[in-house]
Amino acid sequence: MSIFSPVGNWFKAPTGTERLWVGLALTWCLIMSVTMPYWHFKGKQNSTGESYKVEASAFLDRANQFIESNKVGEEKGVPIVEPSPGGDAYLVGEMWRWYPILKLKKGQTYRLHISSPDLQHGFSLLPMNMNFHILPGYDHVLTITPTSTGDFEIICNEFCGIGHHMMTGKIIVE
Amino acid sequence: MEEERKPPLGQRILDNMWLLLALGLAVPTISYTLWGIIELISMGDATLP
Repeated sequence: MSIFSPVGNWFKAPTGTERLWVGLALTWCLIMSVTMPYWHFKGKQNSTGESYKVEASAFLDRANQFIESNKVGEEKGVPIVEPSPGGDAYLVGEMWRWYPILKLKKGQTYRLHISSPDLQHGFSLLPMNMNFHILPGYDHVLTITPTSTGDFEIICNEFCGIGHHMMTGKIIVE
Repeated sequence: MEEERKPPLGQRILDNMWLLLALGLAVPTISYTLWGIIELISMGDATLP
């Protein structure tokens, strides 16, 4: 509350040019507000928010089992894993690495399960700039269909400690 | 002296600091905090297929 209140009726509805500019700003706000949910459902690079509760140890066990049964190679000590097309794939983000390296096929759809056993990380897929929070205790499921071939780098974009800048991973699409 | 008219709606809202405080607390609590808590409570367990 101000020290000195205005006297009488101070409120004046905008008129003329002010009304025009307020109207334009409001219209633009409404357009942007509608665009956000529209793009959430119609855009093809968004998470649907599918996630489940999971024990960190259970997720790690499942991810390691997935790695053992689908491993096709190794790069600098990190397993390269090729999930079956249309199947489930697992990715672990922990201090300070993403593993395994996933080898996917262009045009095939996968259900990518991502979680962390320690603390919050940021899954950031380059160069298409897809970003998702990865939280311990939650299995975040992304349904993905690669549309181009190449090597796609994963970095962590949520500061997670002294090795944060070294936390990189990779998805290979053939 | 001219009798003062009833203040317009915009003025009555903007001059009501308790209403503004209540709205400022209620809107984020319902649309953000409560919504998030409901999402967490209703989240199912992972099957890890």
